[in-house]
Amino acid sequence: MAQVVLKDVVKNYGSVYAVNHVSLTVNDGEFVALVGPSGCGKTTTLNLIAGLIPISDGTIVIGEREVTRLDPKDRDIAMVFQNYALYPNKTVFNNLAFPLQMRKQPRETIEEKVKAAAKVLDITHLLERKPRELSGGQQQRVALGRALVRDPAVFLMDEPLSNLDAKLRVQMRSEIKRFHHNLNATVVYVTHDQLEAVTMADKMAVMNGGFLQQYDTPAQVFANPVNTFVASFVGSPAMSLIPLQVVTHGTDVALQSAEGWELPLSPENARKALSAKGKDVVLGARHSTLKLHKAPHPGAVPGRVYTVEPTGDVTFAQVFIAEAVVNISVEPTVMLDPDEQVWIEFDQSRLHLFDGETTMALSAR
Amino acid sequence: MSTDTQTPQRSFDGWKWGGRVFLTLLLIFTVMPMAWMLITSLKTGFAAMQYPPQWWPSEPTLSNYTRLLDPSNSVGQDFLRYFWNSLWVSTATTILAVIVAVPAAYAFSRFRFPGRTFLFFAVLLRNMFPAVIFLVPLFILMRLLGLVNTHGSLILTYLTFGLPLAIWLLKGFYDNIPIQLEQAARIDGATRFQAFLYIVMPLSTPGIIATSIYSFIGAWNEYIYAYTFLTRHDQMTLPVGIQRFFSENATDWPGLMAATFMMSVPVVVHFLVLQLYIVRALAEGSVKH
Amino acid sequence: MTSATGPAAMSSASTRAPSRRASLGQRIWTQRADYLYVLPALVVMLIVIAYPVYYTIELSFFKTPTSLQLKDKIFVGLENYTTILTSGSFWQVTWQTLIWTFFSTLFAFLLGLGAALALHGEFVGRGVLRALLLIPWVVSAVAASYVWKWLYHSDFGAIGALLVQLGLTDQPINFIDNRSTALASLIVVNVWKEFSFAMIMLMAGLQTVPEQLLRAARVDGASPWQRFWHVTFPHLAGVSTVTVLLLTVQNFNSFIIPWIMTGGGPAGASDIWITQIYQLAFGRQRWGVAAAYSVLLFLIMMVLGYFYVRALTRGDDARAGA
Repeated sequence: MAQVVLKDVVKNYGSVYAVNHVSLTVNDGEFVALVGPSGCGKTTTLNLIAGLIPISDGTIVIGEREVTRLDPKDRDIAMVFQNYALYPNKTVFNNLAFPLQMRKQPRETIEEKVKAAAKVLDITHLLERKPRELSGGQQQRVALGRALVRDPAVFLMDEPLSNLDAKLRVQMRSEIKRFHHNLNATVVYVTHDQLEAVTMADKMAVMNGGFLQQYDTPAQVFANPVNTFVASFVGSPAMSLIPLQVVTHGTDVALQSAEGWELPLSPENARKALSAKGKDVVLGARHSTLKLHKAPHPGAVPGRVYTVEPTGDVTFAQVFIAEAVVNISVEPTVMLDPDEQVWIEFDQSRLHLFDGETTMALSAR
Repeated sequence: MSTDTQTPQRSFDGWKWGGRVFLTLLLIFTVMPMAWMLITSLKTGFAAMQYPPQWWPSEPTLSNYTRLLDPSNSVGQDFLRYFWNSLWVSTATTILAVIVAVPAAYAFSRFRFPGRTFLFFAVLLRNMFPAVIFLVPLFILMRLLGLVNTHGSLILTYLTFGLPLAIWLLKGFYDNIPIQLEQAARIDGATRFQAFLYIVMPLSTPGIIATSIYSFIGAWNEYIYAYTFLTRHDQMTLPVGIQRFFSENATDWPGLMAATFMMSVPVVVHFLVLQLYIVRALAEGSVKH
Repeated sequence: MTSATGPAAMSSASTRAPSRRASLGQRIWTQRADYLYVLPALVVMLIVIAYPVYYTIELSFFKTPTSLQLKDKIFVGLENYTTILTSGSFWQVTWQTLIWTFFSTLFAFLLGLGAALALHGEFVGRGVLRALLLIPWVVSAVAASYVWKWLYHSDFGAIGALLVQLGLTDQPINFIDNRSTALASLIVVNVWKEFSFAMIMLMAGLQTVPEQLLRAARVDGASPWQRFWHVTFPHLAGVSTVTVLLLTVQNFNSFIIPWIMTGGGPAGASDIWITQIYQLAFGRQRWGVAAAYSVLLFLIMMVLGYFYVRALTRGDDARAGA
């Protein structure tokens, strides 16, 4: 196993930048998820690490070797594809054996390694079948097996679970996590599903528009999103964002809505709000940090219920506040009606403030 | 027979019957000339030249066929030589066409190099131009290359009009092979060429077969170039040879019909055995665009 | 180790952009290996197409001796072109070419469409039927021409005799040696030969018509005709365009059937552009005029080719590879 270092990696097609100066380090044995909406450059980044497309600029190091211009076959990597890319004309055995055959391993070694990998993944009984005779989950295992059999420096996975149904996806999620744990493998995993990234990865790299937005542990990304994009992308339901204006009354600082109400800020939040470039700030809050009141309450702002979604152990309410939709979780015993007037109380220690112009998180300094 | 996939209602009977009647008439139109060719080929020269015609030969005979296939008489000698020439020219053309078309089609399907679209359509546009307008310059070119009255002139020419369609058909096949298969192979340690050889080639076999047959049929049936480039009897291919055969025996219709039948056998058999490949190949090429 | 490269970084990156944009020359150079794959095809095509095209254009401005001794050719400017456009037969031949092309294409397409629709869906014998209908398309045009010539024979032809026996005419019609029927008779042969090409193209096209849409239309109460017109036909539009264009080109350029069956006769009644060009070149050795004719044909084909390429490119680049 080995570490992967990307330094100022660029992939452009003329003036269109698919990957724009991305730098990150994946430590030995780490599971890193590249996550972002479609077209954000995450798959391109993975293909650059694999060497499947030529890099425009920057360097890539795997282990101790610079591999920037090497052929995929010389990079000592394995990859699992979204559509599995199993060779349809080969049996499962030959699919697993192919990487070893290409490396001119002796026949006995191949047999031994393929059987071992098949055993680990519980596909021994499928070895003589053709890929099209397998279920989606089985194909997924074979694809993993083909990556596993070679003992590569790094595993690259491109949305490996997105073709599976919801139930199987949850199951395979834990299997891949276990696989990573047992092998202590270095894994770079691409997904558009932030939940997959949060649940599986040691670190997540959030990408958007070809840029790396934030690279940190899921807990850190969740707790301290660097900008409104990351804030709204990570977490389910997403963090609610309310655009407001900063107003000052002497030393007191508050956020004012277009409707006229004001939300006074704690001293620390006040310093953050004042560091914004202009008067526009975006207030962010996760559903669990909000408190809903059915009657006016000091420090709470007015809102109107839009929809109510009971999920069993918790009920999610969507509430219009200053023309923004805000997600709030309430006890299932709380009864709410659409268009009902409610009051929302913010937890000053857990709310987020972003600069309305730059979208970056504001800090108290 | 039905004009639609499933329509149990009574109101649809008109359509269904319309479809049946149409197909029946079309079938008669299609088959009648072929049937008449066969029937005539079983007649003696005398029986063919009667009015009203014998709708079924009163004395069926295979003598027209035995004469064509008997190397001991001059007609048979000529016919077998033409047949052999056609076979050799068509086979050589087919093999070369596949060798040249496979890499080109693969590149057009996979790579995005500058000028790709232009080149692809430049190749395709070859099909737009009739053979006749290339005749004079090609004749001069062949004279320059010293290829007049050789099969080389035909093979080279057939190659070019077979290539565009071959490339087009094969590109359709390659487009349908997921690129991830090759990527997986390259990560698994194959070079680009090995990935092509071990993974892509086996998957595109049906396309290569379809392309081969298509090239073969095209070369086998070609007339104009063979008619212009070849003047020596012993070099002629079947379509030209048959014309000569006919002009020298202007009233031997049964013999001519037997010869056209023999000429059609290889292509029709080829085609019938593998028509599914061809239909699929055409479908992939034409519809997916 | 939170790193942020948000919009703030974007401005600095985009200022670096222009210098990174590879020039066309660089792109060709970095992808030079790709061209190796197409090189053999291109070389062959260049020799056998680009050179003749260039040569035909050159020849069209010269008067060349019948022996085709090129060193003796004389520059005559546009004389070959004016010869063509002022000759009496030109407009007759052009008119006949248009009739030939239009009706061959029309009937081949309609028969092909009818056959494709009638063969759509499963029934016993469908495969055999399709195979039989496809045979005319694969047999050589030379074979087809002789067979039909025999069917049309003025004394012993099966069609003439059949019409007499059915009581439609008193005596066998002389189909191809008659100025008024020659062209029409040839069109029948041509349609026979190529309608199944339209059939397979359209059968392939029919497979792309979503079954769900047809069901939805039936639920909405559409009649079979309405279903065809509003659902099936729009899905066939793309294939139909390509098919009609290919048929048009093919018919405009057909040579074998008229050449073998009538040689353009009688008295030029079935002459079309291609047979005319062949006559001029190899019959009368008027190489320059034939070349000028060819150049005119080129121009027409370029126009058709433009529409052909446009019909084909729709969606081609949406399917991106790497």
